[in-house]
Parts: sequence; structure tokens; C-alpha cells
Amino acid sequence: MKHEQIETNAGLLIVLTLIVISIGGLAEIVPLYFLDGTVEEVKVAGRDTVRPYTPLELRGRDIYQREGCYVCHSQMIRPFRDEALRYGHYSLAAESKYDHPFQWGSKRTGPDLARVGGKYSNQWHVQHLYDPRSVVPESIMPGYPWLLKNNLAYKDINGRMRALKAVGVPYSETQVEYDANVQRFGREAADLLDIHSAEHNLLSQAQSSNYDGNGDTITEMDALVAYLQVLGTMVDFSKFDEGHFAKYR
Amino acid sequence: MDELLTWFTDMENTKPCALVLFFVTFALIVLYVYTGKKRKERFESYRNIPFEEDDDAASSAGKEQ
Amino acid sequence: MADAAGRAPEQYNYDIVRRFAIMSLVWGVLGMLTGVYLAAELAWPVLNFDIPEITFGRLRPVHTTLVIFGFGGSALFATSYYVVQRTCQARLVSDGLAAFTFWGWQVAIGIAAISYMFGYTQAREYAEMVWPIDLLIAVTWVAYLLVYVGTIRRRTQPHIYVANWFFIAFILATAILHIFNNMEVPVSMFSLKSYSLHAGVQDAMTQWWYGHNAVGFFLTAAFLGMMYYFVPKQAGRPIYSYRLSIIHFWALVFLYMWVGAHHLHWTALPDWTSTLAATFSILLLLPSWGGMINGVMTLSGAWDRLRTDPIMRFLIVALSFYGMSTFEGPMMSLKSVNALSHYTDWTIGHVHSGALGWVAMISFGSLYHLIPRLFNTAIYSKRLIYLHFWLATIGIVIYITAMWVAGIGQGLMLRSFDEYGNLVYTFIETVNFLHLPYMVRTFGGALFVSGVLVMAYNVYMTVRKARQEEAALEAKIAAKMART
Repeated sequence: MKHEQIETNAGLLIVLTLIVISIGGLAEIVPLYFLDGTVEEVKVAGRDTVRPYTPLELRGRDIYQREGCYVCHSQMIRPFRDEALRYGHYSLAAESKYDHPFQWGSKRTGPDLARVGGKYSNQWHVQHLYDPRSVVPESIMPGYPWLLKNNLAYKDINGRMRALKAVGVPYSETQVEYDANVQRFGREAADLLDIHSAEHNLLSQAQSSNYDGNGDTITEMDALVAYLQVLGTMVDFSKFDEGHFAKYR
Repeated sequence: MDELLTWFTDMENTKPCALVLFFVTFALIVLYVYTGKKRKERFESYRNIPFEEDDDAASSAGKEQ
Repeated sequence: MADAAGRAPEQYNYDIVRRFAIMSLVWGVLGMLTGVYLAAELAWPVLNFDIPEITFGRLRPVHTTLVIFGFGGSALFATSYYVVQRTCQARLVSDGLAAFTFWGWQVAIGIAAISYMFGYTQAREYAEMVWPIDLLIAVTWVAYLLVYVGTIRRRTQPHIYVANWFFIAFILATAILHIFNNMEVPVSMFSLKSYSLHAGVQDAMTQWWYGHNAVGFFLTAAFLGMMYYFVPKQAGRPIYSYRLSIIHFWALVFLYMWVGAHHLHWTALPDWTSTLAATFSILLLLPSWGGMINGVMTLSGAWDRLRTDPIMRFLIVALSFYGMSTFEGPMMSLKSVNALSHYTDWTIGHVHSGALGWVAMISFGSLYHLIPRLFNTAIYSKRLIYLHFWLATIGIVIYITAMWVAGIGQGLMLRSFDEYGNLVYTFIETVNFLHLPYMVRTFGGALFVSGVLVMAYNVYMTVRKARQEEAALEAKIAAKMART
């Protein structure tokens, strides 16, 4: 084949260009789906400790995306000494394996949030989201007062969980799937992942934890704080030897 | 398939394989493009395509204000 | 002259080129004003005003979408339709389909910007559009490919000029990237919310494969297509080496697709992937500089015209920034440098040296070349082009310098330890440090935008002048007809 043909044949030019531009992506993306160890197994006593989000946390995550939090906050701690001191153990691939889409972020205008769960009280989060500078005077974060006013929309929670199930998140609809979840995550977690009781689970988590400090209504603040408080809490690193996860890198 | 992928993604295998394959292809393209007097003339004649427009007189008139 | 014969149809479809050229400026002004407002929000957070629609998180995708896809995209549609017709000496294969690409693209950009402000987003950078907009873009893009390839097939001479190769690679790559990166499952047919097919590591890799190649093909390959036509035309001499452009093309389109993972250094992405990406990023320096040298050498025979031709200045500065940022990029993809630069404003500075310095400057140069030809008149004011040039150049330099200070400064602060091994600075102390560079950046950005406003005014007056001249000509003809 002569190069002259390529230059004079639009079809050939297109095909060759397609081949040349496909190689890079294929070589880097496809193996990530097949290679063992790309996503670590994190099991304690035979159970997966990283579970999909509860209905309330899921709605919180949706709001996190809606407000564009990922634009200024990463959720990916790198294996450096300063990050370990500031944020904790470096992030594992397993910790975002149910994240559709991932929210690792690319810019830290604010601090990393991968392990923010449990670091501050619910009350602190509510006040901070309502008016960041009332808690951290030098903060440049916008206030989100409407989260306290907006009632949480949760009527389509089943649809949301079903869409996630369609892309591979193990929410359960049938008895078989539920039983598999009991095996995999334990009964307590499996109950929370059942699509049929999603609305009930959402309401009871919001009412029992009362994240926004207002017991009368369930607001978007309830959902967002529930999500923030679970971030990075699913892997208990004290249960693993130091360096256990290093082999996966 | 898995085995082949594993073999290929082992850095020690990937590096030389990819290097040889891509470099040979690259070298062949460079050789092809830069050898042959006729080819050179042919290629470099294409430089003038943007200037072979039929209403070029009009466009150069528009250049000056 | 093309349309000296009064109302006879033009030999080429310039109407579509005019429309895209004007919309490019409209989106440019809107998108860059949004950018300055965002910069101001970071310097003075009170500007968020507790209004959901204009908070930083919702407004930032508006800025990126309007400038990349609105301004850059429309400029590419305009120039590619112009270049393909002129170098193939053939009219666009279908005016209707071309008009469809215009409306499809403009509607997609407009709806996307508004939808982000109301919180409808996929939350994946530069691919935030919700699924119905993704579908609209996919259809529009297929129409674009059909128009483009159809026109090339009508060409009168056998060889396809190299600028068209770059445009074809850009159209094909963008199609692939858009489709594979936006695979998602909507909550329902009536919900704008969807969840991406991939998760975690795979989602991150796919997204940055897309994200970096939006830079590689949308913001680089396509603008190189622009370069390979408008630089020779404006300089009045052919491209320095055609053979170099062939090597440049194949090397660039091959290497770019590998480098996306350098956005994921030190993350949970496996090491082999990011090392591979870093290696290819370094290699990418060669074709990038090959292209830059080809452009600069073309201009170098016409240095004397730099003094009299402000458009030449835009082109040479564009090529200089292209060379600068394609050197900075591979350097930042080194893992050790990336450890410092990642997550900081250094990245933002780097993006803008490419986006303002290269993409915007080459577009301005090309548009200044195009507008008089499209409207059959001379530019309204050459002095305003000079003014624009200086506002833009000084604005970029201030912007990038502020971001270097901010990024490197914050990076160093975050990793400094005292003699007992404790962290010296809390995170919020580094935020405090950023206040000054953020103010300076806002100023630099404002200078750049004011340059664009000058250009918009200049173009508006040029179009108005063209209309008046046309009306005067018609009146003259009518008077002549009446006399006879």
C-alpha cells in the first residue's frame, strides 16, 4: 500500500486514523476490567466491608454532584506523608467501586473529603454548609442555605437504585439477590440495600440520625450530611497489617 | 485472553514489545516520507494547495485595508 | 469576486461559516465573562450571594462548556467548513445538513449551560451534559462527519490537504470519546439524572482518557488544522515542510490517546497505567514541537510583516504558547513534579496557557483573517486589533504567573514539615495564601476578556460597514438601471 493512496482516499484515511487513535485507549482501559488486583478485595471475617450507599446516602451523593462539590474537593488521598497526616490512609480502589460516576476530583480548592466521615459532628457540617465562614472565617466556600429549606425528593429512589443496579451495583430486588447480599455484606447491610424497602430505609435513617437537627422534615441537608459522614468509613484499617494493600499498587 | 493480557501488562514485557513495534512503524514512516527525490517533490508540491484557490485574487485584495 | 454578481449564490457556502464565526464570539464573550466571575468568587467568596444558580460549583461547568465547546467548537466548525471548501475547491455537500449542525450545536451548548445552573449534571468534568444533550450532540456530530467527508469526496484534485487530516482526526476522535465516555443509564425516560456505566477506577480512567483527549483532539489537533491553513495564508507563503506535517500528524494522533492517565498519578489507578501515560506524555513533546517548528518556520520568512500585520502577531504568540505549554505538560506528567502540581492551581495555569495562549490566540488570528473575507470588506479598525493583541497577551502572562505562584506556593506549603515532623501549615492557611494570586488572576482574566470585547465591537462594526457598503452598491446599481 502506498502512502499516496492514503492521502488520496478519504475512506482509507479514516480507517487508518481510527485504528491509530484506538490503540492507546484500548491498551489502557480494557485491562482495568480484567486484571485481578485492579480493585482490592477488602474482607473482614469473610464479609465485604465496602458496601453500596444506603438510599439516604445515595440521595446525598446525588446532591453532592448537583452542587458541583467535585469541582473543588477531591476524594482521593495519595500515598504521601503529608496527606496521611492531613487526611488519613491513602484511598483504595475498592472504596470507590460503587461510585457511578467516580468523584475523585482534580483540584483541591478545599481539602480532600475521601475520609471526612466521622471527623466532624453533624451539627458542625450543618452549620458549615449553611454558612462556611461562621465556622472557618478564612474559608472561600459558598454557603448552601437552601439545603436546609429544600425538602428531600425521594419518590424516585427506587428508580435511582434500579438504574444503579443496571450498571452493576448490588442492590437487591429478588430473594436470591437479597440472600447473596446477606452472604456478602451481612444481614444489617443487606437490609439497607433492598430496593423494595428503600423509602422506608431512607425515612428511618433520616429520622433516627436527624442529621440536620430538625426532626420535623427531611431536607436535602439530611441526605448530604449522611453521605459526607459515611465517606471513607467503610474500611477499618486497624483490621489489616500495615502494608497489606501495598501489593495492589 | 486473560493470560495474554496479564503477560502484556507486565511492565517488563510491555516495554520492549511496544517500543520495538511502535518504533519500527515510526521509523518506516519517516524513511518513507524522507526518501526518494520524486516523493519529496510530490509531497512538497502539496504545500501550495491553499494558494490554488480560484478566487485568490479576491482574498489577497481583502488582506490590505 | 465571489459575489460581485449581486444576489447570485456564492460559489462556497460561506453563510454557515459566518454564522459559526459570529456564534464563536458570542459564546467566547459569555464564557470568558463567566470565567472572570468565577475567578472573582474565589477571591471574594461573598460573590456567591447564596444563590444556588451562580455558586462556584454550578457555574464552573458553564464556563468550561461555553469556552471549550461554545467558543472553541464554533470556531472549529467555522474554520473547518471554510478550509475544507477552499482546499477541496468544492462547495459543502449539503447546506441543509450543515445548517443542522449549526442549530444542533448551538442548542446543545445553550441548554447545557442553563441546565448546569439548575443543577442538572453528570458530575464528570467536561462531560457534564445530561443524557438528552449527549444524544443531541452525538446526532449533530454524525451530521458533521457526513458533511465533512462528503465535501472531501467532491474535491477537484487528488490530494487531501493536511489541514483536513487534522480536522478528520478531530471529528473521529471526538465521536469515539463522546460515545464511550457518556455511556450511562438514566433513572427513567423522564428523568435527566443518569448514572455512568463505569465505576471508580474504570470510570476515572475512561473519564480522563476522554478529558485529556478533549484537550488533545478538540483543543489541539483541530486547532493545528486551523494552523496549517491560516498561518500559510496570512504569511503569504506555503508551510515550511509538508513532509514534517505528515510525520507530525501520525505521531500526534497516535501518542495523544495514551496520555490521559497522567491526570491520575498516585491515585488508586494501577501504577502500570499511569507510568505508561507518563512515558507517552514525554514522547508527545516531539510531535508537538514538530508542529510548532513547522508553524514558526513558516512565519519566519515573513518577520518584516510582524510590524505591519497584527494578525501575524496573534499567530506567532499562539505558536509560542503552544510550544511553551506542550513543554510544561510533559514536565507536569512526571510523577515527581505531579506530586506537587496535582490538585493545585498550577494545573489551572497550565490549562489556560494552552487555552488562552494557543487555542484562543490562533482562533482570534484566524477569525480576523476570515471576517473581512466572509463579509467582503476590510476590517473596521486595525488599531483595535493591536489593542486586542496587547490586552490578550498581557492578560495571559499575568494569569499564568499568578497561577504558578499559587500552585507551586500552595504545593510547597502543604508538604512542609517542621523539625519535629509535624505539618507546618493547616489547609486553611494555604487558602489564605491564595487570596493575593487569586485577585491577580482575576485581573489578568479581566484584561483578556476586555480584549475579546474589543474584538466583538470591531467585528460588529465590520459587519455593519459591510452591510452599508452593500446597500450603497445596490443603490448605485439601481440608480444606473433607472438612468438607462
